[in-house]
Amino acid sequence: MNKINNVSKKELEVISEVTEQTSRRDFFKKTAAYSVSALAAASVVTPVSVSASSDIKINPEDDLNIVHEKPWSLKFGDDVTVNLYGQPSPYEHNVTRRTTQILSSGNMRASIAVTPIQDLNGIITPNGLFFNRHHGGTPTINPNEHRLMIHGLVEKPIVLTMDQLKRYPNVSRVHFLECPANGGPEWRGPQFNSIQFAKGFMSCAEWTGVYIKDILKDLGLKPEALWMLAEGIDNSHMGRTIPVDKVLDDAMIVWGQNGEALRPEQGYPIRIVVPGWEANLCVKWLCRLEFASEPFYAKEETSKYTALKHTGKAIQHFYANEVNSVVTSPCPEKPWTDLKKGDMVEIEGLAWSGMGTITTVDVSFDGGKNWVEASLKGLVLEKSWTRFSLMHEYTGKPMLLSSRASDDAGHIQPSVKNERAAVGIEGVYHRNAVHTWEVDAKGEVTNVQILS
Amino acid sequence: MYKSYHKKIVASTLFASVVFLGTACNASNDTKAAEKVVAKAAAMNTEGFTEREINAVGPANALISNSVKKTYDHNGKLSVDGGVIYPIVNGKTGAYHVNETAHKTAFNKGKTATANEQKAWDIDVMPDGTGLPEGSGSVEFGDEVYEEKCLSCHGDFGAGSGLYPRLTAGNAEEMHKTLMNQRIDAEHEDGPQRVFGSNWPYASTLWWYIKTGMPHQAPMSLTTEEVYALSAYILHINEMSIDGVEVDEDYVLDREKFLKIVMPNVDGFEPKINGPKGQDNAREYFNNPLNYGNGVRCMKDCFDGEPEVQRIAFALTDFNPPLNPAKTLPEVKEDKAAHPGQGAYEASCAVCHATDAMGAPAVGDKDAWAATMKKGLDGVLANTINGVNGMPPRGGSALSDDELKQVVDYMIGASK
Repeated sequence: MNKINNVSKKELEVISEVTEQTSRRDFFKKTAAYSVSALAAASVVTPVSVSASSDIKINPEDDLNIVHEKPWSLKFGDDVTVNLYGQPSPYEHNVTRRTTQILSSGNMRASIAVTPIQDLNGIITPNGLFFNRHHGGTPTINPNEHRLMIHGLVEKPIVLTMDQLKRYPNVSRVHFLECPANGGPEWRGPQFNSIQFAKGFMSCAEWTGVYIKDILKDLGLKPEALWMLAEGIDNSHMGRTIPVDKVLDDAMIVWGQNGEALRPEQGYPIRIVVPGWEANLCVKWLCRLEFASEPFYAKEETSKYTALKHTGKAIQHFYANEVNSVVTSPCPEKPWTDLKKGDMVEIEGLAWSGMGTITTVDVSFDGGKNWVEASLKGLVLEKSWTRFSLMHEYTGKPMLLSSRASDDAGHIQPSVKNERAAVGIEGVYHRNAVHTWEVDAKGEVTNVQILS
Repeated sequence: MYKSYHKKIVASTLFASVVFLGTACNASNDTKAAEKVVAKAAAMNTEGFTEREINAVGPANALISNSVKKTYDHNGKLSVDGGVIYPIVNGKTGAYHVNETAHKTAFNKGKTATANEQKAWDIDVMPDGTGLPEGSGSVEFGDEVYEEKCLSCHGDFGAGSGLYPRLTAGNAEEMHKTLMNQRIDAEHEDGPQRVFGSNWPYASTLWWYIKTGMPHQAPMSLTTEEVYALSAYILHINEMSIDGVEVDEDYVLDREKFLKIVMPNVDGFEPKINGPKGQDNAREYFNNPLNYGNGVRCMKDCFDGEPEVQRIAFALTDFNPPLNPAKTLPEVKEDKAAHPGQGAYEASCAVCHATDAMGAPAVGDKDAWAATMKKGLDGVLANTINGVNGMPPRGGSALSDDELKQVVDYMIGASK
């Protein structure tokens, strides 16, 4: 809701005033009540065109938004000193992260705000909409006083300032981050009639930082080092254990997110990104990396992030978010209620895999009995959101619309039935079963699950 | 997070027709079979799949793709997560160009971490006792500390309150058995109890958690004795024993005893990650997708009959802000004009009056100001100008009578 707060009252008054004026003729009728200077300014802006459109005799089929001049085209807009850090249009104020009480552990400092994926385009999540889960609130860290310590089973334990860290050669990579509880409230059946809450515990950004392996070259990692603790310096002192093999592959320490500094709620000044893996491993407000020969059993990786199977055993260190997909248009927030029978419409969605690159996405109109292959669309990058698309002639008949993705690791999204068979229904985490929307005859869209 | 929707899900099941393939539950439970599975030649475990699905997926090992690289550059081993590795080939990795020289250069940035610096930040506590300080604490003292610093969130005897986590579900050994529970239908509505006593593999995590994370609003504030005492108290309310001795009301926990704690669920997790083979065990486990589920790419007639649809039985709609697709302007909220006395209050008076710590009536404290106002407005103003109790004349400020009057008016208004 910051966006709303950031729109000054004055700005809103200007906008309201503008929208009240529906036509040039109205405008001139009203100018009598305006100050002389306002009238003068308006005259400067529109010296000639004012009388031109008054020649048009308006017919009922004419769109008044076209044949009437818009007030914003008749006066100055904001000058370049307004919003030196830019803001979305105030008309977009309903596009925000959202929260719900039941996803918090007591208070909103150990909680999650989820991303409106229904409103996103392409594969990049704007920083202000990136989903945000933390365990002790967002700290405001002074980067000049922040340090990164790397120690434990290394020949040379070091401390880096942020300036020193940023002197390492950087890389930029597009990766999604997903809370492994994305979809987790729905193991036993659909509960959220909303894509934002059913699938919005994730976002995707271009991250800029340094490969940890590039720093380790100088430190002399000892051969018995098998695990790395990553720890934050916020209230929660969140820690997670990461296997050294992943650290030496593609794990990064990042300070950049979509071209600018990390947002405070994403770990400013630095966080880890462990591409494709549970986002809680991507520790924010990172201050310490410690290498050890045994796993650390950090607090949340024991108390929370294990997936209980029907056998009574739980999967621990459940790393990669498995292949997954969801249709984003239509969805409950973006229904097909405006379509007429015979309209061509694009079915669009997101697919992602923490194990690799999306290879195919199939779409079903009958709840998964029969499938057709959709097209991938745009950039197809490893461990990144990938768009898929399928053109459809709208029939107006009810349908059960599902998507099913595959990745180059050889993994395929399971049906709800298959996933329940493999792990049961108490896992909480890593739910990646095929997602289905029920589209009714009016084009309304509802969240359902197919058990066949 | 689990607990937070626990109740809701129980409610939903009572109405939902959940079909659960109980007979297919053993798909990945056969450890001997799992040992035989080598990732590259994984035999597909077909339990839970229909004949039609099996035919659709083709050869038994079709779940594993052979056309991609799954071994690390640095040691040639299979990826630890079962995923694909993207090496740098001809200056590119995937779609990304790479400056290979940049990644081959040594940099030697930063300074050596001193022993004191490492000691100051090395706050983790591991199962073998690394990081666990010498010290002790009693259940009795733990009870006192709990009541003062923990109860308001975690409830009486660790029973939880609101959405704050429970610290016990009762006897740890008994509750451990509930981990087999699956809430598959209305007759099985008792779910698995995942709390410290029943679920956590190591007590070291408890010590670490309390020391660095609790109380939530003031982490790192507890003494070593308080942490030992709270650990003892939590073991007590989970009805646990250490080395055959019940952690009763008179128990005193120390480091030596702490390291003898064996949690009921110590063997309850897979893959096995301890020891020199820990990382390799994880590697083997995650390279067999049958351990955690996978699908088949059937394209036609993938099941018999009509699809069985499970609809929302108990909709969760408490969204903040409410869903709203409209492209409208936000409502304009009138800016409340600042009270003329507020600035002077904040500059000259808030040091003492912002809280009641100094003995002054705190702004916002309705009762305190009701008591103060018994003197009447003129009386309060006179005290303000002349001083009262510990407060010097004009609060030690150089404010005029009129300014003080505005300040008093602001403070009274803000305390109604």
